Amino acid sequence: MDGRIVFRTFRDGGGENGVSELVRLTDVTKVYQGGITGALNGVSVSIEKGEFTAIMGPSGSGKSTMLNLVAGVDRPTSGTVVVGGTDLGKLGEAGLARFRRDHIGFVFQFFYLLPNLTALENVLIPAQLRGDSANGRARELMGRLGINEVANRYPARLSGGQQQRVAIARALINQPTLLLADEPTGALDTRSGEKVMELLGELHRDGQTVLLVTHDAKLATRHATRVISVMDGTIVDDARLESPERAAAEVIRVRGEEASR
Amino acid sequence: MHTQHTYCVWVVERLSLKYGVLGLLKEQPLHGYEVKNRFEAMLGGTWDVNIGQIYTTLQRLERDGLVRPVGHRGDRGKLLYELSPEGQKALDEWLATPESGPQQLHEEIYVKLLLATRIANGDLKGMLARQKRAYLQRLRDLNRLEEGARRDGRIDLARLVRGALLHTEADLKWMDELSSERFGTEGAKTE
Repeated sequence: MDGRIVFRTFRDGGGENGVSELVRLTDVTKVYQGGITGALNGVSVSIEKGEFTAIMGPSGSGKSTMLNLVAGVDRPTSGTVVVGGTDLGKLGEAGLARFRRDHIGFVFQFFYLLPNLTALENVLIPAQLRGDSANGRARELMGRLGINEVANRYPARLSGGQQQRVAIARALINQPTLLLADEPTGALDTRSGEKVMELLGELHRDGQTVLLVTHDAKLATRHATRVISVMDGTIVDDARLESPERAAAEVIRVRGEEASR
Repeated sequence: MHTQHTYCVWVVERLSLKYGVLGLLKEQPLHGYEVKNRFEAMLGGTWDVNIGQIYTTLQRLERDGLVRPVGHRGDRGKLLYELSPEGQKALDEWLATPESGPQQLHEEIYVKLLLATRIANGDLKGMLARQKRAYLQRLRDLNRLEEGARRDGRIDLARLVRGALLHTEADLKWMDELSSERFGTEGAKTE
């Protein structure tokens, strides 16, 4: 099947009546040979366009596996993964590669930048794979992410936070429909991690659909509006968080309550 | 047992208020209602005190020689109080003393957990899931509160909220830990 045709209406999400489903996992099972952890057992879930969803769970619970299946870097043992109306199971390897290149931005815990390329060259890789010269866009993105001044440096000369921002720029260069992030703050100090999450939050406010795997509930709940909890390969909770303006007293009580009764 | 607990909580509160008032008076002499307003502002609206409590506290502090009125005693509401040298000493000692009493667990979840373990094992999972959701929402609310405090330049308040955030994160981890345990066998022994 030709990915180009399949994805013709992809950017609009293919939805009707305002709400558009971007991802749907149906009864997805993933079995790993040899007892490797991270298996999934009959997972069904859908993600809407524009959502910022956090997937949380202990290590080995299958949360990264979910992300890899959505990204098309892994295939389920059974069940279907539909992204933007396209059943990834029906794509061949070439179609799947095109799908990833055109529609998925992936950010990892350990950045995975190519050491012999500059920051700018790293950012440009996905665009070049598509035959784009995206120099202007790369510069614009790097400016926005605060890494323009290090564009010509090699990864070894960048801090962890800068490397992750380069990785985010690389993930965004092809304007992906879906931005996936697997523990993007896991290798960063607290402050750099907060900055990276701040960026993901900004991107989400600009309309980017974000799917984040993390173990940091503090950071996840700061930006994500939905938290899916995974345990032993199944979804055990799916919480949508509200964002009302709350007075401090509605959130915290410092030992005053008993006395005022 | 109940009375003892209530008493303990009450004493702790009174102490925080007492030293809170001393701390505010260290900054500058204040009237009773200024103390109330500043105390509530310091706590960022997380603790409401009534003016009666403030006056009672000030009277006790004056009786104990830790604060003293400035100028003449006239309209009580307008009476200014300042920190005395003894009050300064008491405040310094309090600040320098680490909190070593029993850990305060005020929330009802602790009792709910005990009861659910003893009498309703079947619904423990549901209870934990619901509580976990509430903690996630609280984390989000606290995050917004912390952002607001930072925006307002209230670093002291942001630190307080940060403490609450970390506590809630720990509560959340506790829920996860309880959820992953096998309560069928482990939960059977309740005494």
